[in-house]
Amino acid sequence: MAERISNSFNLRYLSINQFTILSIFFMIFILVLVAAFSIGSFEFSLISLFIGDTTQIENTIFYEIRIPRVILASLVGASLAISGACLQGLFRNPLADPGLIGVSAGAALGASIVIVFGSTIFSKFVLSTFLLPLAACVGSGIVIFLLFLLTKGFGYQGVTYMLLVGIAINAIASVGIGILTFISSDSELRSLTFWTMGSFGGITWPLLVPAIIIILTAFIFLSPILRNLDILQLGESEAKSLGVDVQKLKYRVIFTSAASVGASVALSGMIGFVGLVVPHLVRLIAGVNHTYVIIGSAILGSSLMVLADLLARILIQPAELPVGLITSAIGSPFFLWLIFRINKA
Amino acid sequence: MSIAANNISLSYKDKDILKNIDIEIKKGEIISVLGPNGAGKSSLLNIISGEIDINNGDVLYEDVPLSKLSIQERAYMRSVMSQSQPIVFDFSVREIVEMGWLDKGNLRYSNNINSAITEVISDCDIKHLENRKFNTLSGGEQRRVHFARSLIQLWRETDNKDSRYLLLDEPNANLDLFHQINLMKMLRELSNDGVGIMIILHDLNLAFKYSDKIAMIKDGSLVAYDEPRKIIDQNILSEVYDLTFDIQLKDSKINISYV
Repeated sequence: MAERISNSFNLRYLSINQFTILSIFFMIFILVLVAAFSIGSFEFSLISLFIGDTTQIENTIFYEIRIPRVILASLVGASLAISGACLQGLFRNPLADPGLIGVSAGAALGASIVIVFGSTIFSKFVLSTFLLPLAACVGSGIVIFLLFLLTKGFGYQGVTYMLLVGIAINAIASVGIGILTFISSDSELRSLTFWTMGSFGGITWPLLVPAIIIILTAFIFLSPILRNLDILQLGESEAKSLGVDVQKLKYRVIFTSAASVGASVALSGMIGFVGLVVPHLVRLIAGVNHTYVIIGSAILGSSLMVLADLLARILIQPAELPVGLITSAIGSPFFLWLIFRINKA
Repeated sequence: MSIAANNISLSYKDKDILKNIDIEIKKGEIISVLGPNGAGKSSLLNIISGEIDINNGDVLYEDVPLSKLSIQERAYMRSVMSQSQPIVFDFSVREIVEMGWLDKGNLRYSNNINSAITEVISDCDIKHLENRKFNTLSGGEQRRVHFARSLIQLWRETDNKDSRYLLLDEPNANLDLFHQINLMKMLRELSNDGVGIMIILHDLNLAFKYSDKIAMIKDGSLVAYDEPRKIIDQNILSEVYDLTFDIQLKDSKINISYV
């Protein structure tokens, strides 16, 4: 039996227009990267770095602090935007966002549990390199599974139901984190508050590498089902009658979102609204098919997050703003506008 | 060569929805399913399409039990147009129709997508809507787009001998008279090409004119299942619909009105 080509990743589903837009996104991304690499409390000239005309300390700062930080911001931006786009597609709900429906909070709760109960048992290296991302992924996975049960298998329940469930899950998770905060020691407490604000500071290569692997694996796992997410928009039984294995599609999206949100939250805390705003911008620009939306969200999400982090670093130098504050400042009015727009339609 | 449903029963929470139904969709035949609301017509269609599992009985696609066929194999054999759901994102009409295209991994077949879609779109009279957003269309126009999508799923090259079946749940709902008749004519052409069709209808005149067989369902039971001429009968119709009918047969033309 011949397989459907739509079960593999295929650029045929991009229109020429969309391809152009994606190329423009990519150029913006490169510009933002160059800016983020050069600008900061230490200004770098990329050319002098390239020809080796730099001091030892400049090299250390650039390769051990600046580059990991920018890569982390870019990865987290991409993974939050992609999981937002996927969850919106899966739930057929334009307001699904990992932060709003409680997936990020679940990841933060998972990470918090490990910090408070694990710090006495495990060494700092094992804890922050392996256990934290794992616990965060498990936390976000549990929340998505809970949503799965509460929405009777992600059936279409209307736009608001899922948000109400999200409010409840967020509340439950914050009770958990609240209790943990209460019983935690001073140093644990500092790590905990980090999750509620979100920041890309303090990242090092050993912490970054596992996250890169988790997030890239999740993306590759996702790429063959983009067309099927389009077809799912017709309805579950229609998708099934068109040859889409809906069950498998759900599991893939659950796995991808849980893994990428978990890994992101473990390293950078809760950063809100990226998963909501970015896919919408991408859709507004050139269409709603998922091959375009997911690739576009990845690139634009990366760019915006790197830019937000750049702002966080330079706005109130020498201090730093939490990057979550910046994304929420941009994202929450957008969220209101979106609710208004959906209500009108 | 057919899709056959043998001795099908379905119950849900002690309520019988379908009782011992036998029905067969032969290649090249149009079977109309009629009956009051809630009689079990859609359930029957969903069982035949493989959407609902049955408590008793078998569904056979060309003598192969449905459970032995993968979701993809089923998609190649039959397309389904059910009562549609809202679509959240702003897909264009053309994108919705394209979703019906099953790529069989055969390059020669894949190259036909544009001509196939152009052909089906003009047959269904939605050419002028092609670039509109699906969500801005009226109910009837949306039904025509979904119909086009289910036709695209069955599209084959002319020399292809695949068995194809079309299962339609009230495709006529919300359609104006012209498009209702246009749709029935298209079904007739498809059946002449060898497609087996099952259609849920409410219009007795259309059912009589365009079907090869009519199945009358009431309270989950098959009341009558035969050629239109034998089904369109005072007693059968009154039993199914609890109405008195006035039937006038002239040559091959029929006029059914109710009192």
